[in-house]
Amino acid sequence: MNRTMNIASNTMNQLQQRLDLIGNNLSNVGTHGYKSADATFQELLFQQINNDKADTADRSSDLGIRMGTGAQLGSLQMNWKVGSVQITDRNLDFALTEPKQHFNLIQQGDNGEEIIYSRKGNFYLSPTANGDNALVNEEGLAVADSAGRAIVFSGQASEYKVQPNGILQVVTPQGTQEFNLGVTVVEKPDSMVKLSATSFGLPQDMAALGLTADDLLTEMNGAARSEIGLQNKALETSNVEYEKEMADLISTQRAYQFNARSVTMADQMMGLINGIR
Amino acid sequence: MFRGFYTVGSGMIAQQRRTEMLSNNIANAETPGYKAEQSTIRAFPEMFMSRLDAMKVPTENGLNFKGLSKVGGLSTGVYMQETLPLFAQGQLRETEQKTDIALIDGPMDVNEETGVAGTVFFTLEGDNGNESYTRNGNFAVNAEGFLTNPSGLYVLDDAGNRIELASDDIRVTETGIVYDGENEIATLGIAYSDQPDTLSKMDNGLYTTIDGNDLPAGGTYSMQQGFLEGSNVDAARSMTDMLTAYRAFEANQKILQAYDRSMEKTVNEVGRVN
Repeated sequence: MNRTMNIASNTMNQLQQRLDLIGNNLSNVGTHGYKSADATFQELLFQQINNDKADTADRSSDLGIRMGTGAQLGSLQMNWKVGSVQITDRNLDFALTEPKQHFNLIQQGDNGEEIIYSRKGNFYLSPTANGDNALVNEEGLAVADSAGRAIVFSGQASEYKVQPNGILQVVTPQGTQEFNLGVTVVEKPDSMVKLSATSFGLPQDMAALGLTADDLLTEMNGAARSEIGLQNKALETSNVEYEKEMADLISTQRAYQFNARSVTMADQMMGLINGIR
Repeated sequence: MFRGFYTVGSGMIAQQRRTEMLSNNIANAETPGYKAEQSTIRAFPEMFMSRLDAMKVPTENGLNFKGLSKVGGLSTGVYMQETLPLFAQGQLRETEQKTDIALIDGPMDVNEETGVAGTVFFTLEGDNGNESYTRNGNFAVNAEGFLTNPSGLYVLDDAGNRIELASDDIRVTETGIVYDGENEIATLGIAYSDQPDTLSKMDNGLYTTIDGNDLPAGGTYSMQQGFLEGSNVDAARSMTDMLTAYRAFEANQKILQAYDRSMEKTVNEVGRVN
């Protein structure tokens, strides 16, 4: 049978997935804290074909011929370059200016509370039961301090100040309250589970993989807190580069067309075989 | 029987194989480190044709000798003998990933016998403990902290050991020395083959030696971090080659039809009474 059609259609399927990936990057050009992702292709299985066992002619390669079966998309890689910082002049907007550092958010998971990680720093206040205010993100998830507790303060805040070492000062009529914002360095973003466009969680099957949280994360505590780069009244924009994504989109689409042409060619060849008689 | 009937059949198969190879090249036009394949198409071993005839010796009674006289060689078909990768340098493409490394060939010695220049490869730990080689520098740091290729094979340093890193925030010099911050971690292992044609091509852009012996270090090269070596498939050329193969396939098909019509005449018209 004509393998050309299989080779081309396998590859077209994978090229389609790359188009999806580029489309996702492009649609998140305006998402604060989004990190672009890309995947490269790799060759699919090679098959050994022994087409003439009695061949004794001089040759440089091993006996038979090795035929490829197309290309597939390899693993996804995240580009963790810091996006440009946009000044918003809003009190509760925070931008992390060092790569891989993430805010900690508290999410109610299947096994109780769990911490998830995000670089998106537009926070809000949410009133709690006894008249206090909790710092939350846009989805209402509480922002955690360095000990993993929700940041809750009493009274009406008049001013927010960011001090070095990731300290958040909230000035209220009752006095100034200080919180250590929880910041975690996600060392291996590619090994994390993506929960939304901007947030990550630890993989559920970590124990099965023989990993601990320390392999993937570094909590910024103690002396390490001096490395935190935190800016107030600003947000980190998406690091998607529009031009690069467009160029990738065009070249992927052309590659798709080329493979579609291979399918047509295979079809015509089968037509010729069919037309012998 | 018509001798050429199966010859054109083998011609069709050979051209189909060539189309398959070219479509695989086109499929891998976006694969980093992919080396376009070229084929050699070779005639089947020839057979000698002889003719049974009689030699007349001019004697009184006209003496006849039975004998064979040679007509000449006849090829009985064609097949695709070899697929050899073209080890020309692919274009560099910037990716901004710190674990993407492009390997750039320096001036290489050309093998006098074959006229093929030597090539350098990254060294990977293969499944069976032997080394595998690749030009695809699209590496990543796996969860355990080792530098691997996209399919998870360990990248080896110049001493044949796996490379362990704390994070993917590394710096790679032109000579292949990997730094994590200020600490020198390892030197990427680069293997040199003076006869790259003898390597067997596997999936995922891997090459292995036929005899299973590891390649030596050597060759002249440099490296560029944050870049990938693109595929060296020339789409325009692949397309024209494919059209040529297609037309050759068509020509063979036409001759097959001609044979068919000849046979039709033999069967239906030769020796017909009315």
